[in-house]
Amino acid sequence: MTIKEKGYAHWDGEFLDKKFPWWPITRYGIKLTFRKKFFKLVFPMSLLPAVVFLAGIYVSERLEDFKFMFRDSVPFLQIDPAYFKTYLAESFMIFIMLITVIFCGAGLISDDLKHNALQLYFSRPLKKRDYFLGKTAVIVFFLFILTLVPGLIFIIMKLIFSGSFKFFLSYPWLPLSVIAYSVLVTAFFSFYTLFISSLSKNRRYVAILIFGIYVSSDIFRAIFYENFHNHYFSLLSISSNIQQVGAAIFNQKTPHPIHWILSLLVLTAICVLAWFVLKKKVRGVEIVK
Amino acid sequence: MSIEVNDIHFNYGKIKALDGVNLDLSQGAIGLLGPNGAGKSTLIRIMLGFLSPDRGEGRILGYDIKTEQEEIRRYVGYMPEDDCFIPELDAVSFTSYLGELSGMPRQEAMKRAHEALYYVGLEESRYRKVETYSGGMKQRLKLAQAIVHDPRLIFLDEPTSGLDPQGRTEILDLIMDISSKKDIQVLISSHILPDIELTCSYVVILNKGKLAAQGEISKLKEIRDLYELKIKGEAQGFLRKLEEMKCRLEETEDGLLKVYTPPGYNRQEFFRIAAEENVQLRHFVKSQSSLEDLFADAVGVD
Repeated sequence: MTIKEKGYAHWDGEFLDKKFPWWPITRYGIKLTFRKKFFKLVFPMSLLPAVVFLAGIYVSERLEDFKFMFRDSVPFLQIDPAYFKTYLAESFMIFIMLITVIFCGAGLISDDLKHNALQLYFSRPLKKRDYFLGKTAVIVFFLFILTLVPGLIFIIMKLIFSGSFKFFLSYPWLPLSVIAYSVLVTAFFSFYTLFISSLSKNRRYVAILIFGIYVSSDIFRAIFYENFHNHYFSLLSISSNIQQVGAAIFNQKTPHPIHWILSLLVLTAICVLAWFVLKKKVRGVEIVK
Repeated sequence: MSIEVNDIHFNYGKIKALDGVNLDLSQGAIGLLGPNGAGKSTLIRIMLGFLSPDRGEGRILGYDIKTEQEEIRRYVGYMPEDDCFIPELDAVSFTSYLGELSGMPRQEAMKRAHEALYYVGLEESRYRKVETYSGGMKQRLKLAQAIVHDPRLIFLDEPTSGLDPQGRTEILDLIMDISSKKDIQVLISSHILPDIELTCSYVVILNKGKLAAQGEISKLKEIRDLYELKIKGEAQGFLRKLEEMKCRLEETEDGLLKVYTPPGYNRQEFFRIAAEENVQLRHFVKSQSSLEDLFADAVGVD
């Protein structure tokens, strides 16, 4: 006899008092991202730089073995905070992060808006905060795989390959820099992506916007800088701001001769704006005033 | 009381959506009726905590609508009016996902999702992606997600809209089966009056944000008696005197006059007025008023 024929049956289980009610949102978000065929191809490729940099750490400890490959000195294989900054805070890595958030984040809110799913979420015992945390954690997951995880692995591998704590004792603050930078850049991209995702019901438009705003901010910086030769125009560029703050976090010379705090303020301002827009755009019901 | 709201006011800008609504509802299936813009959906959204009332207070299943919204949503199921789903998920994942979000353990949510989909008749297509579902299947899926966590109170917003007659009958059967459980209460908001009449014993009628009528359908029908009359002669004076006696009149296309009399009306009055106005009563039958009549009477339309 099917359940339908038996009539409605009660569930005899008990609700859990979940500490992380947003976790199912994250789990499903990650699962759905990995279902995208193109992402399956792109994401492993985005880990290639990490593999190359890891190989660089290995080679740096085995320079004698690899001497035949290099004619003169190999300054780029000096493993120091600059090496970490080069991996984490140069434009190629920021661009990879951008491509990753386009895949994993563009549809996070826009799909829910398109299919009226917000009311399904908010008819459950979820707060707005839980919804945002669940969606944000999807982006955090992928960006940490690109930043925090390789950064920490590099440090651990360096220690293992060198067989001493000398590197750690020389730069004891480096793990904190890796964590701080990863958190900062991930927080920025999370706000940036969710903000743009909440602006349209079409995931493709969102993807174009995420990419377009990032690239055009760089183009505007270049145009203004070429015309006025003022370094403050670097504040217009998302990429430049991240690089400025990244350089400061890794205790390196900033790419532009302006204070990195200004760049941090610009990034923070974008996050604050994103938060206000998100709060306004994401609600359980459409209210037409 | 499962639903208890007092003096609820809510405005969308300058538009008054709810204007002092009071409700005290307990067991069974309750129909929520009203014309477009009467405030039905707004009331449901306030009861679910989507919206906070501008004024007034209320308790759903004993939980405060302003401060205990999460608890309300844990024990309440909601089937929205609009098409809504999470793309790229199959029906089982979709239903279990929403069960998990309600606080069910993961394994239990999955098991219960299968049961809920069997119950609503989607067992064959439960592994299909929800975006490939037809309108009727989506409606069933919305019902499945509303019952997956075994709620004590279910809000159904236009549950039969967009369904073919067979699909409508099947959904109504499911609703009647659910509401037959003594410990589950169902509140159905609908424009389709026969659906309400079939599934509900109690009705709440809203009009322009105000409570126009509420009570058991059978008792509400008894408040006004309905008489069907055919008359010959000069009708004007006869009709005017009936209206003066607070009767509501309706004339059908075939010349039948429907007269809804106020409570306590003595039907001998028809004959007295007819004699006074020199009108012949050719047909005089006491009829049964329908929910449609009751609704028209409450919202003041013919």
